[in-house]
Amino acid sequence: MSFWWLAWKDLKMIARDKKALLTLILMPLILIAILGSAFGNVMKQDDDSVLEKFSMGIVNLDKGPLSKVLVEEVFENQMKDQIEIKSLHESELRKKITEHHLPVGLIIEPGFSDSLMTGEQAKVKLLTVPDPGLKAVVVQKVVEQFADSVPIEAAAAQKASLVQTGTDGEKKTLQEMDLSKVSLLNETTVSAKTKMVGSFQYYAAAMGVMFLLMTVVQGVSNMILEREQEVYNRLLLTHLTYTYYLLGKLLGLVVICLAQAAVILMGTGLIFGVDWGDSASGVLVMTMAFIINACGLGVLAGSFVKTEKAFSVAGMFGTQIMAVLGGSMVPMYLFPDWVNSAVKFLPNALALQNYLKLMTGAGLADILPAVLGALGLGILFFVIGLIRLSMGRRGRYA
Amino acid sequence: MIEREVRHGLGVVNVNLLAVQDLRKNFGQFEAVKGLSFTVEKGESFGLLGPNGAGKSTAINMITGLFPPTSGEIRLRDIDIVRRPKQAQKTIGVVPQEIALYQEMSAKENLKFWGRMYNLSGKKLEISVDGVLEMIGLTDRARDKVADFSGGMKRRVNIGAAILHQPELLIMDEPTVGIDPQSRNHILETVKRLNHEGMTIIYTSHYMEEVEYLCERVGIIDHGQVIAIGTLRDLRESIGDRSRIMIMLDGETFNQQEIINHLEGSGLSVDKDILFKENLLTAFHKEPQNILGGLIQYLTRDGIKISSVEIVEPNLESIFLQLTGRSLRD
Repeated sequence: MSFWWLAWKDLKMIARDKKALLTLILMPLILIAILGSAFGNVMKQDDDSVLEKFSMGIVNLDKGPLSKVLVEEVFENQMKDQIEIKSLHESELRKKITEHHLPVGLIIEPGFSDSLMTGEQAKVKLLTVPDPGLKAVVVQKVVEQFADSVPIEAAAAQKASLVQTGTDGEKKTLQEMDLSKVSLLNETTVSAKTKMVGSFQYYAAAMGVMFLLMTVVQGVSNMILEREQEVYNRLLLTHLTYTYYLLGKLLGLVVICLAQAAVILMGTGLIFGVDWGDSASGVLVMTMAFIINACGLGVLAGSFVKTEKAFSVAGMFGTQIMAVLGGSMVPMYLFPDWVNSAVKFLPNALALQNYLKLMTGAGLADILPAVLGALGLGILFFVIGLIRLSMGRRGRYA
Repeated sequence: MIEREVRHGLGVVNVNLLAVQDLRKNFGQFEAVKGLSFTVEKGESFGLLGPNGAGKSTAINMITGLFPPTSGEIRLRDIDIVRRPKQAQKTIGVVPQEIALYQEMSAKENLKFWGRMYNLSGKKLEISVDGVLEMIGLTDRARDKVADFSGGMKRRVNIGAAILHQPELLIMDEPTVGIDPQSRNHILETVKRLNHEGMTIIYTSHYMEEVEYLCERVGIIDHGQVIAIGTLRDLRESIGDRSRIMIMLDGETFNQQEIINHLEGSGLSVDKDILFKENLLTAFHKEPQNILGGLIQYLTRDGIKISSVEIVEPNLESIFLQLTGRSLRD
């Protein structure tokens, strides 16, 4: 159990370092408050932003002609430069959006065409990932405009026939067909409980993962610094093996990160009222998996870098790049879909995407594949780091 | 095959605790250790001497199992250190040249931590830590941070951390570098005491007097090879038990070759008995008083100015100088 005492020593030393404690605990909360407030407005002003072409899934349950026009003429033809349409079954669409493979989906309910023609409430359901940004707005506007214009044309034709008959009752029916007053769209983010993610929520998760990443970099820097000093050689001359050395370091780092995560989770919840979702176990397991993944990556990177100075510089740049790609700086849904899919191998991106899922009501079962992936990657990184470290010692000159 | 036993004159059989055989280490093209062989008996205090870059630390790192040799064999009793370093390390204590302690932790915390790294726990750990603190004379400063200690006190804790698990073999790599005389004396006495209590010691140092004081046998290492090994008496005899006459000449008022020619005429050999390095003339002689007068007369007659004259009794420094042509601090 010598690795446990190594971890305990690291924790004791951190606990005595007031500056480090301040950075670990206060800084994340301050930044979350600043960014959550500042970017809250930006996220509401998505209309001014530039929109890349995106994919949308459509389920057309309506047999009428108007839904066909909406899908084929409007979306597939007129908007082909902005939106790529994928026709899907409902279950397929829900799965893809839940898994963030599609940002937006549209379900055209049965009777859509008839409802529009008769002026009844037409039913269309817009499904989105949390915080879809402009994509959802664009689809919503298109559907609303379609709903406004198509029945008017239909009504014009009907009016001509009514004028011919000239009955008062039928004229009244015609006025009631003004669909601008009809609530057409039922917008929802996908999950059983269908919650939306606010800016504070988003940045609580985004800043949280970024700070945890920075803590990992700091921890690995300290590990490299120790390796540059004589204490490391002395450690290796005791009962401590390479494996136990890395396990001890990893354990210490994981506990420090868990403490920071607890502060972020509870602090944002209590101070800013951030809702991390209904699944406490999901948040806990995801946090643990993310930390192990990030620490494993850190240990791997640390095993390839010889000096603490070099790692600190590389770590600083690496963290910033990972934070940008992972959605900690700007909302991830402003990126093209392929970027969001590609960056899932980054611990922070994977964690953030799954925290957002949890915030929208997903449970532990929904994020389990991501958790397993993160754990697997973390262990793989750790093993490679261990091999690298033990091999690196063989050629060292005294 | 390593010889495992050494038979002494009185018929006592001592088993070698450590046996190093034809040890080699290459770093790329550079051969840092070139076929090093020696043995250390149980309970012995063995000195390893050599200048910087001689290969001492590389050899020690291989002996302690820190990294493997390119070839060769190292055995601690029956344990093959190259193949099973962790098993050997259970009975080895190492005092590194640098201070290998956590500066922000107290002396006691450091000792407890290192004790735990040797799997000590509970009452055994407490007793061991308290005993070591007493031995190194820091019981009253046990709770102070190591960062606040003097260099000598740090060195004492550095030694303490290596003996918590009561190793059979204690390897000390220059343990007194850069400390005050009081701390040095304390360390030397501690090492002497540990050796008297039965701990086998390998001691490397630049300070000849320390090695002479502590060690029964000495190995002299240079350019990765042992160039002489034996008891101090053996080594003294190997150089003919001769004293050193060291004359520091002033300025450029002399002709080196003329002086060498003169000394050769007095029966000294330029290869064995005379060393000329810059302004320092060194001559080895069994009876220095017999040649000193004539030598000074010869030098001053030609107007050569002499800054200092020193006669040094035969010691390790003389032996090293004569064997390598260099002083230990070169």
